[in-house]
Amino acid sequence: MDVLFSQLVVLGSSLTLICALMLLWHRHVYAYTTAFAWQSVVLTGIMAVVAYFERDAEMYFVAALFLLLKGWVIPRLLRRIEQPLGDEQELRPYVNTATSLLVCALLVLFAYAVSRPLVALSRLPTRAGMPLALGLIFISLFVIASRKKALTQVIGFLMLENGIALLAVLGTYGIPLVVELGVFLDLLLGVIVMQLVIYHIRDTFESIDVEQLGRLRH
Amino acid sequence: MIFAVLLLPPLLAAALAALVKPYRLVVGWGTALLALAPLAGGVALCARILNGEVLTWGSGEFLRADGLSALLVLCIAFVAALAAWLGPGLTAADAYSAGERRGYRVYSNLFAFTMFLAVTAHNVGVMWVAVEATTITSALLIPLHVTKPSVEASWKYILICSVGIALAFVGTVLAYFDFVNLAGEQPAALNWTALLASAPSLHREVLQLAFVFLLIGYGTKAGLAPMHTWLPDAHSESPSALSAMMSGVLLAVAIYAIIRWKIVVDAAMGPAFSHRLLVALSLLSLAIAAFSLIGQRNYKRMLAYSSIEHTGLTCLGLALGPLGVFAAMLHMINHTVTKSMMFLLAGRVQQRYQSTEIAEAPGLIRIMPVTAGLFAAGMFAIAGLPPFGLFISEFALMRAGFAAGQTGLMALVLVLLAVAFIALLRNLNRMLYGMPPAATRTGENEPWALAPLGLCVFILLVLGVVLPSPLNGLLNRVVEIVSP
Amino acid sequence: MSAWLVEVFEALFALALAPGLVGLIRWIKARMQSRLGPPPWQPYRELRKLLHKEVVVSDNASWLFRFAPYAVSASTLAIAFLVPLIVVPRRFDMIGDLFVVVYLLLLGTFWLALAGLDPGSAFGGMGASRDVTVAALAEPSTATAIFSLALGAGSTNLGAIVVATLNDPRTVLTPGHLLAFAALFVVALAETGRLPVDNPATHLELTMIHEAMILEYSGRYLALLEWASGLKLFLFLSLLANLFFPWGIAQTMTPAALAWALAVLVLKLVILAVVLAVIETRVAKLRLFRVPELLTASFVLALLAITSSFLLR
Repeated sequence: MDVLFSQLVVLGSSLTLICALMLLWHRHVYAYTTAFAWQSVVLTGIMAVVAYFERDAEMYFVAALFLLLKGWVIPRLLRRIEQPLGDEQELRPYVNTATSLLVCALLVLFAYAVSRPLVALSRLPTRAGMPLALGLIFISLFVIASRKKALTQVIGFLMLENGIALLAVLGTYGIPLVVELGVFLDLLLGVIVMQLVIYHIRDTFESIDVEQLGRLRH
Repeated sequence: MIFAVLLLPPLLAAALAALVKPYRLVVGWGTALLALAPLAGGVALCARILNGEVLTWGSGEFLRADGLSALLVLCIAFVAALAAWLGPGLTAADAYSAGERRGYRVYSNLFAFTMFLAVTAHNVGVMWVAVEATTITSALLIPLHVTKPSVEASWKYILICSVGIALAFVGTVLAYFDFVNLAGEQPAALNWTALLASAPSLHREVLQLAFVFLLIGYGTKAGLAPMHTWLPDAHSESPSALSAMMSGVLLAVAIYAIIRWKIVVDAAMGPAFSHRLLVALSLLSLAIAAFSLIGQRNYKRMLAYSSIEHTGLTCLGLALGPLGVFAAMLHMINHTVTKSMMFLLAGRVQQRYQSTEIAEAPGLIRIMPVTAGLFAAGMFAIAGLPPFGLFISEFALMRAGFAAGQTGLMALVLVLLAVAFIALLRNLNRMLYGMPPAATRTGENEPWALAPLGLCVFILLVLGVVLPSPLNGLLNRVVEIVSP
Repeated sequence: MSAWLVEVFEALFALALAPGLVGLIRWIKARMQSRLGPPPWQPYRELRKLLHKEVVVSDNASWLFRFAPYAVSASTLAIAFLVPLIVVPRRFDMIGDLFVVVYLLLLGTFWLALAGLDPGSAFGGMGASRDVTVAALAEPSTATAIFSLALGAGSTNLGAIVVATLNDPRTVLTPGHLLAFAALFVVALAETGRLPVDNPATHLELTMIHEAMILEYSGRYLALLEWASGLKLFLFLSLLANLFFPWGIAQTMTPAALAWALAVLVLKLVILAVVLAVIETRVAKLRLFRVPELLTASFVLALLAITSSFLLR
């Protein structure tokens, strides 16, 4: 039973990583939001699996909240931002697609190296997926740094939060409820504020190209 | 009770400003009066701490205030009061619309609330939530005047700081993971006293990894290089009262978070690891700040880079043993008072000259003599000249460094401080003297606003001459907590 | 003796059924596009027609042009003897393993590219250069995915890999296994010239890769090349099916087991044919400069596969 639990969790973590790769592969902002939404759904699935095998009722509640927030509310907010923008494509990010994919493979290898002490220390059956969670975190940092559109940077940030949530679920079966609720609230407010700032950017710059935000130097 | 006096008035003020539509000046005065309450509460808290108490509140000690918290509470309350009394929304003459004034009153009070929560929370997770909330509440205030530079600055601020804080959360999760593997899941697991108690048995490598993430994360918020890129933009483009709050005390709150985790990590594996990292990042910040100050053309950016320099000095002090911690905390107080005053003065200068370029704001001494005098005093202070408090704290830092045997390091720091000194005073010279542009009005507007700023200079002078014994006692308690 | 006969029969079975597979995919695509479409045995009729037709050879062509169809068919037929279709372990395993299969495929690609270049036509040269690019980019994925499979089984021998997976069915759910399957699936699409890499039904200059190379061929040469390409698709799909989901394959020589294995193989191929047809109907052909990105993605998947299977052992 333990082995099945472990395999399901690792499978789910790999799927979240593949959603991240899909995000790098696509060029339309619409596809970024879809990849993120699917990743959140897979993450909810992992939480539900952990809740089932560990008979933890609180985890079901957290998983439901997570699905509501990141699988539905936030993708809707993102779609609302991207609709008036029309067909904005991430045409030429700072790093082209093939190189991005290779860099991500290297980042996953780096994550495996960095998380050796974590996997060695943990006695939980979910420990095999922790390097993948750390890999997702590093890939999200890369996405934020290499994208040119403000909206895609926000989605990279949301993916970073997904990676951290995955790390928390795999390493410690979640964090205390009060902190979890605070994190959700922060995230929701953070996305709303980012949305407002992007509206400001669109109104003053007529585009959400981050390259235009280069006036303040030295 | 004291916690209620600290946390409730900002919330009430924010609610007051949010509910009264359209904005009326009396709301501004109301919120300013409410801002005095946390100041009184902070002084009372320090008195209780000096008596030897540690205050807690809530089931499971949700809020906990010891000496370090009390010091930060005092700083936050002081700057929040300054920003409330000298910020937009009190007179009809400031250059903001009613909506902007209302926005300022609501969000600056929420900002103050989140900072108070961050330094009094017992749970490091709640502390994290509060620090993230400070980013959110301040990000909307930066583009109070929506212009291209301010929007750019606010985007950089919210993105870089959110990413940094998320990395700090990775560190928190890793530390929690370490603790849970040792002691099993408990609801009080993330209380920092629980972490400290179990620190010696925590796993070294995992905690090292966690501390790296935490330092990078909270260091982004504190303005340590190389994560400082948002700081000059955000602090220079926001309204001056907000810059005062951000530069004066938000950086200190981020350093507070670093200190809390440093205590745990030092208890687990000795101080060498955290000291190495802190010294490296501080030196880098000092170097980048000092060299960026040369050739700086915008006086608000100049003040922002000076903040980076002083953050670097504070973090350097933390790495130099108990003497260094004393110096660092004293430096933090001095910097808070100075920098908030400087940004508010810069706001007055900007209001008169309508520009933040140094080249376009000469002849200050002719246009606004009192402001010029206070501005000069402040510049001497941040450059580290006696008889101001920052000279004493920097001297104490040097002494701690030499006592710890780090002579080469201190020599390097001296050189960098000299570089910054020259750059700052050159700019002061250009601003004070010279021919002002023809159409500039002479004389002070709102001379009553100069009184609190004069008070700041007075405090700096006092701290530069003698260290009052209550403050000495408080700082000693802090050193006991940080370097036992 | 009977074992050798069974394995020879396997290869002939593959040879016989390959055009049917191509026809089946074409038929399913047609039905999905709400057309009647040619029946699944249409390719057999086409082959019979081509065998009766006259061969027209360009004046500029050399002996390479006439030799290439035989070389390509021979190499593909050789692969047919090595892929485990119905029974494991195999007697033929002693002559070849997974690497031999990959390089026999490459041999076929090489000869086809030469044949495209030989008559000196513009289309042929263009098709040859494109095909070799795709093959070169698919190499790293193939090799890495093979390594990840071999790590799990302890050998690159095809029969050994299948037996190892049969012995330990839980390896099927491991991420290493599934990622390697995804990587090899993309490589299969690239090597056999299916969408989204190459459209097998097009003759437009912008979009041809495989068709461009065989444009100059006619008569029995064209028949051989079409049969070889069908056989390549058959073998790739059965390799994917049997390496990753080997249930149903016979491990003893009894007629019952063999018949059952045959039926299961046909079922797996039908499922894969449906999957392929659905993908081809839904996906648009990638522009040529995006094909390297697809193959890089496949390489990254293979790299992740090998990392998982190496580090999670």
